[in-house]
Amino acid sequence: MPQIELNNASYSYRVGEGQTVRALRGVSFSVEKGEFVALTGMNGSGKSTLAKLLNGLFTPSAGDVLIEGINTRDEERTFDIRRKAGMVFQNPDNQMVATVIEDDVAFGPENVGIPREEIVERVDWALEAVGMSEFRKRSASKLSGGQKQRVAIAGVLAMKPDIIIFDESTSMLDPEGRAEIMEVAKKLNATGITVISITHNMDEAAQADRIIVLRKGRLVLDGTPKEVFASPEVEACGLALPPATELARMLTERGFAFSETVTDEDGLVEGICAQLN
Amino acid sequence: MRAIELKKLSYTYSKKTPFEKRALDNVDLAIEEGEFVGLIGATGSGKSTLIQHLNGLVKVQEGEVVVAGMSASDKKSLKQLRFTVGMVFQYPEYQLFEETVARDVAFGPKNMKLEKDEIDRRVRRALEVVGLPYDEFAERSPFELSGGEKRRAAIAGVIAMEPKILVLDEPVAGLDPVGRREVLALVRKLHEEVSPTVIMVSHYMDDIAEMADRIVALKEGRVVADGSPQEVFGEREKLAQAGLALPSAARIADKLTERGIELPRTIVTPAALADALAEIKAKRAANEPAAQDGEREDGENV
Repeated sequence: MPQIELNNASYSYRVGEGQTVRALRGVSFSVEKGEFVALTGMNGSGKSTLAKLLNGLFTPSAGDVLIEGINTRDEERTFDIRRKAGMVFQNPDNQMVATVIEDDVAFGPENVGIPREEIVERVDWALEAVGMSEFRKRSASKLSGGQKQRVAIAGVLAMKPDIIIFDESTSMLDPEGRAEIMEVAKKLNATGITVISITHNMDEAAQADRIIVLRKGRLVLDGTPKEVFASPEVEACGLALPPATELARMLTERGFAFSETVTDEDGLVEGICAQLN
Repeated sequence: MRAIELKKLSYTYSKKTPFEKRALDNVDLAIEEGEFVGLIGATGSGKSTLIQHLNGLVKVQEGEVVVAGMSASDKKSLKQLRFTVGMVFQYPEYQLFEETVARDVAFGPKNMKLEKDEIDRRVRRALEVVGLPYDEFAERSPFELSGGEKRRAAIAGVIAMEPKILVLDEPVAGLDPVGRREVLALVRKLHEEVSPTVIMVSHYMDDIAEMADRIVALKEGRVVADGSPQEVFGEREKLAQAGLALPSAARIADKLTERGIELPRTIVTPAALADALAEIKAKRAANEPAAQDGEREDGENV
């Protein structure tokens, strides 16, 4: 059984009188446990709507979303779904609920009545996993954006999720903060947690195992970074190529030939060296 | 003509409290009219404090700020200063507030107490320049625009004041690739058509390398590098010390140099890198027979 399964899922909502926005139209795909999937597309392509369907914040207007076999329509299981699929949002300043960092991380487990000793254990573990243990007694207000997002991730981790959804969680950070979050996401993924990363940043998308591209609410591409960035559809979807891929394209125009699609700097460097050395 | 001059400018937040922080430390900086300056620096390096001095949003504590001949310390010229320096803050679309796009864009020119005809002219022009045709967008609510359109509408509100100096703080933050491209092209156009002097703050070194004539790098409130993109990004050690990244073209050039394909440190854009590599390829192809001769000679010497 796949861990995440979308069967012909659609989502529409009304704006004003008689106008309906069809944010998602018949999207089907499945994700296995432990995958690192980047979900991308232009603003308005339906990415964020899809993220909200995955943890049951929205239920589909048609079709089904199953998380570990549980249908998100099943209201009695909403709580289980939220616990299985945690979400990290965009704005680092909007996600803190407590002033002291360890209290913030403990908020989720406290809410669901986990025994005190176990909460302490979970908070220790979660802060360690995101590299923020030394900050535990400090105030969240003095942290950098990247550090705040790491605390937000620790808060999600303290619920012991199987899936973490990053909803443009790096878009408001500086390059250093972005790199910190990508590193944490990869580390968590290596422990078996499924990562779904919604992003506009093609460099980040290129680091995923798999990229899903949405356009006007429909799934248009689904494959490895090499497959997706080799597709002529990419630019029609309003996406850019990662800088290394773009450079490979410019070099191809100037007489170079690459045997496979370049998606990152190291691949590009290898490809150039093979032709010049 | 000199557009901006900062003389020994220092600024400290929360003076005489345990949270005291020196945000600017003895900054001397002169910007000429017509320059496109990229202002870079890690988070907390003083970039925001610096730009907030340019239109009097923060009061000068120590030193001097002169903009288009006006002193930022002179309260009488504060209003004029605000009309001279247009500020596009991060996520400017959050500041849209009027019922229609046209009214939102007219807010600045109205504050300037311009004649109605002049206000209309400016609103039309600003909307046309940012690519939101007046007839199509003027009467729409700013809140029903797409993300990229909202940002352009917000920028129109600033340029309707026709500021001589335009300051943009992370103008592409949070936009998708299409929105990014559009806004960067717009910034270039504004530099050419509306505001001759542009200061752009950005964390995206690739954009800065492409767009700016001059880069000023801050670290802990001090100017640590100032020069053309080639000069500033050429100083790898200094840049690393300031906690700043390289544009991707320069980073790839370094990796290639390490692998024996020597490239100059002045390469900062993808086009420059692609051209340099094509040249090396052509040279190697031309030298191939010669290289074989060389090998033979070596063989004989052994």
